[in-house]
Amino acid sequence: MKLENRAPAEGINASHENPLKELAWLLAGGLGAVVLLVFTVSFAAQWIAPRVPYKYEAKLAASLPPFATTPDNAPGRQVQAELQSLADRLALRLDMPSEMVVRVGYREQDIVNAFATLGGQAVFFRGLLGKIDNEDALAMVMAHELAHLKYRHASAALGRGVAIGVILSIVSADLGSSAAGNVLTTAGMATLLSFNRDQEREADEAALRALHAEYGHVGGAVDLFNVMMRLPGGRQSSGPTVEFLRTHPLTENRIAAISQWALKNGAAIDGPRRPLPAGIAALNKPEPRR
Amino acid sequence: MLDLIELGLFITLLVVGFFAGTIVEKRHYASIRKREREFADVLAFSVRFPPDRVTPQRAFLVHGTVVISSDYFKTFVAGLRNLFGGRVRSYETLLERARREALLRLKHDARRQGAKLVICVRFETTTISTGWAASIEVFAFGTALIPERAAAIDFPARSVVAA
Amino acid sequence: MLVSNLELVPGRRVVAHYGIVQGSTVRAKHVGKDIFAGLKNIVGGELKGYTELMQEARQEAVERMIAEAQSMGANAILNVRFATTSIAAGAAEILAYGSAVQLDGV
Repeated sequence: MKLENRAPAEGINASHENPLKELAWLLAGGLGAVVLLVFTVSFAAQWIAPRVPYKYEAKLAASLPPFATTPDNAPGRQVQAELQSLADRLALRLDMPSEMVVRVGYREQDIVNAFATLGGQAVFFRGLLGKIDNEDALAMVMAHELAHLKYRHASAALGRGVAIGVILSIVSADLGSSAAGNVLTTAGMATLLSFNRDQEREADEAALRALHAEYGHVGGAVDLFNVMMRLPGGRQSSGPTVEFLRTHPLTENRIAAISQWALKNGAAIDGPRRPLPAGIAALNKPEPRR
Repeated sequence: MLDLIELGLFITLLVVGFFAGTIVEKRHYASIRKREREFADVLAFSVRFPPDRVTPQRAFLVHGTVVISSDYFKTFVAGLRNLFGGRVRSYETLLERARREALLRLKHDARRQGAKLVICVRFETTTISTGWAASIEVFAFGTALIPERAAAIDFPARSVVAA
Repeated sequence: MLVSNLELVPGRRVVAHYGIVQGSTVRAKHVGKDIFAGLKNIVGGELKGYTELMQEARQEAVERMIAEAQSMGANAILNVRFATTSIAAGAAEILAYGSAVQLDGV
C-alpha cells in the first residue's frame, strides 16, 4: 500500500479574495439598514405623536413629578411671575392649542439653558436669564420653547426615543465587536438627531414670527444667538463639533437662518429693544469686556 | 473635539489592523507552504490503526499547538457580519492558518523524536477571547510510530504535490 | 466520493493513503435569529433557526473536505470526525476532517 501526504489545492477552506470588498458591502448594508430603520420609525413616531389628543399627554405629564416649579423665595417667585406673563403674551401670538395650559417654571441654578417638556411646561434656569440683557432676546427663547409646546415636539421626541432605543440596543448588543456596535449606533443616532434638528429649526421659525408680531422686528433673536456664540467653551456650546451629531443646528447656521427668514418675509432685523422686567433684570450680570 | 478624536482613532486602528494583518497573514502563509514542502516526508494520517505490514517498535504521543489572534479589521468585519449572518470569511483564514501551523508543529515534534509516521491525528480548537478580540488556539495531537523494520513501508522520498 | 467515519470499508481494500483532509467553515447568525432565540429562551424547545444554521454549516464543511480530497485524487475519506467551536460572539466554526484514501474495486 502506498503511503504519502499529498497537499490539497489552496483556497478551499479560506478564500483569498480582497477583504475590503466584503467590508464595503457589509458597511453599506449595515449602515443602510440601520439608517433606514431608524428613519422609518422616527418618521412614524413623529407623525403619530402630535395627532394623539393632548389630553393623553397632559395625563402622562400629571403622573410625573412637575417640571415647572417655582422657588419658594420672593425674588424667585417674582421672576417666575414675570416669565409666566411674558409666556401668556407670546402665546397669543403663537396660536397655541386651546386645551393646553402653559406653565412656566424657574430654577435657581447656574445652568445656561431652558427647555420645554410634556404637559405644556417650560423651564428656565437662572444661568440663562443672567446672560440676557433685553426683553426681546428673552422673548425669543420664550417663543422658541412655546413653539416646541405648540408642535408637541416633546411627545414626538419621546416616541422616537423609545422606539430607537429598542432598535439600537438590539442591533448593537451582541455583535462581538464593540467597534461595529458603536459604528452602527452612531449612524442610528445621527439619523435620529437630524429629526431633532428639524424640530429646532421649526421652533426657531415659529418663534421669529411671534417675535416679529410682538415687537415689530427680530433683533432679539440676533442678540440671543450672539450671546450663545460668546458662551465659554468656544464658539459652539458644548457638544460635538460636526453638525450631524448635534441635537441643535450650529449656532452660526441659526443666525444665518434669521437673515434668510427676514429677507423672505420682508421683516426688520433691528429695532428698539425693550428692557427686562425688574425681577429678571436683577439677575443680569454684565458681560466681561474683552 | 472628542468625537473627532475617537473617530480618528477608530479609523487608524482599522487601517493599521488591515495592512499589518494582511502582511502578517501573507508572510505566515508563505512560511507555512515552505515548511509543508520541507516536512513532506513526515506522514500524518487520521486513521486509527497502523497501515498493513507496519509493526511499530515505539509509539508515542506527539502534538503541535498554536494560538493565532484576530486583528482589529477582522474583528470589525466579523462584528458587522453578525448583523446579516453568513460565512465569516475573515475568521476562516485565521482558522486555516492555525490548523496548518499546528499540524506542521506536530510533524516537527515527530521528526525531532525520530519518527516519520504519525497516525490517529486529532484536532481540538478553542477560542481565547480577550474582551473584544478573538484568538484561536488549535491543538493537534497524534501517535507517532517508529517501525521495527525501516523497509516495511515504502515511504516516498518527496511528496506528490497536487496540480 | 465515499465518506465514512469507519476505519475500513467492508469488502474493499485501501490501496493508498493520501493524508489528512479538512473542511471547515465559520458561520454567523443574524440579528433576527438572535431575537427569536432570546424569546425562545423563555419557553424552551428547539431553536429551529440555529439547527438549520449548524446543519448548513456542517454540510458546507463536509463539501470542502470532499473538495480537498478530490484535488488530491482520492476516492474515499475514512475516519471522519467533526469538531465545533464557537468563535467570539455569534460565530461558530465547524471542522470536518478525515483521511483521504484510494480504495480499490468499484
